[in-house]
Amino acid sequence: MFPVIACLSIPSFELKAAIRKRPAVAVRPAALAPEPDEDGRVGPVNAAAEAAGVQPGMRLGEALATCPALVLVEPDPAAAELAWEEIVQSLEDAGFSVEPATAGVAYFETRGVERLYGGLDAALRRALAAVGSGWDGRIGAAARRFTALAAASVARPAQVLVVRDEEASAFLSPLPLTLLPLERQRYEELEALGVRKLGQLAGLPGGAVAERLGPDGRRAWSLARGGTTAAVRGRRPPAELAETLEFPEAIGNELTLRRALGALVDTALARPERRDRFVRKVALSARLVGGGSWRRALTLREPSAEADRIRVALAPKLADLPAPVVELRLELVELTEPAGRQLELLAAGAEDRTRLREGLRQVRASTGSGSVCTVVEVAPWSRIPETRALFVPRDD
Amino acid sequence: MVAHPGNARAVRTAGRLNEPRPARVEANFDGTPWQVNHQPVVVIREEWRVLDRWWTEDPVVRRYFELVLETGENTVVFHDGAGGGWFTQRGA
Repeated sequence: MFPVIACLSIPSFELKAAIRKRPAVAVRPAALAPEPDEDGRVGPVNAAAEAAGVQPGMRLGEALATCPALVLVEPDPAAAELAWEEIVQSLEDAGFSVEPATAGVAYFETRGVERLYGGLDAALRRALAAVGSGWDGRIGAAARRFTALAAASVARPAQVLVVRDEEASAFLSPLPLTLLPLERQRYEELEALGVRKLGQLAGLPGGAVAERLGPDGRRAWSLARGGTTAAVRGRRPPAELAETLEFPEAIGNELTLRRALGALVDTALARPERRDRFVRKVALSARLVGGGSWRRALTLREPSAEADRIRVALAPKLADLPAPVVELRLELVELTEPAGRQLELLAAGAEDRTRLREGLRQVRASTGSGSVCTVVEVAPWSRIPETRALFVPRDD
Repeated sequence: MVAHPGNARAVRTAGRLNEPRPARVEANFDGTPWQVNHQPVVVIREEWRVLDRWWTEDPVVRRYFELVLETGENTVVFHDGAGGGWFTQRGA
């Protein structure tokens, strides 16, 4: 048996994640609305939109002229990231070591679990079942990474397509160049030269391709010939520690958001699951008023468990928020072991804090979860008393 | 509200402090209260108006009164000019 690299592909993943909670939109022609830096071109489209003639990357005006009923869906990167994390975790729970490439594409090896599931096909079927049927996932498997990706790209929904190494070049040959990670301009250049299929590109001399198209072209040429056999590097699962704060109404004021962030940092750091570990990477995401989302990740220069340090690092990101926020979420994405930083032997006021914490724990034990809250002053200048402060439940 | 006991992800819903509470208020012809929750008003200590968010679909139009009741209790009530009704509120 040849060593197998499997590739899971979920086409239009960002769109599917954005409309997952809006089933009414899923049956109508829909496309992801253009991002500001995408030159007014629509993102991924669903099957109904494709059937109506809309292509991903089409200019917005052209797409709407082609299909006036097209629904433009606001990108929801936080929902996409969360959904993708769930999928990768499902695969990991099934025993696969997963290397996520982009949202909607992941590589994994089957060698370790083939005997467990009763062969290659059964293992790949198990992986497909772990992903779930709602995503229209498909899996390609081959000895080389790019061939696996190409197989997954041409497979039908819920299909497993295995390409043996000896069949790889015949399999790749008739496939379109669009499978290659090239800039639009390069495709056009190759098409102008009459090169439209992977087989045609693979048939050219490598030196000539590099001379004409540069390093990107040379890499594309190498992929067209099957690509490398680089092994899959399974990721280290991220720490699963997140705190979310829902607001009673949309908040657009930066100072208010900074205070809410402060409360989130305090609560997240006090969670027992952190077990005195330091925070290396954090992510801040928000659900925006009107349905979209926003997310920024940050790796701290030095791992820390100090609330002030994390707050100061994250607070400037709040200025990037494009719209008022209805939910703010802090994730401690990566934690490290509590070695490498010398702490104070006994912090000032530590005894008082311990007694206070113990007292609150007793109150909570007698009155139930959510009974102890922190008051966070959010708009003390407001003339409307109920908008001046929020109370945030804490269970630490 | 904690999402799932076995999961380390938690969703907490922030609440508003000093939310207005409906009150039973009897008012004079000029709109000043003479009884709050069946307790007669002894003194009106202060009166003020709040007009805010007039640029939104939910404007705030309130007439506040700081009162001393017959029981000796200090309380703040307001009449909601936008939605109607009387409310008591702490922290005003």
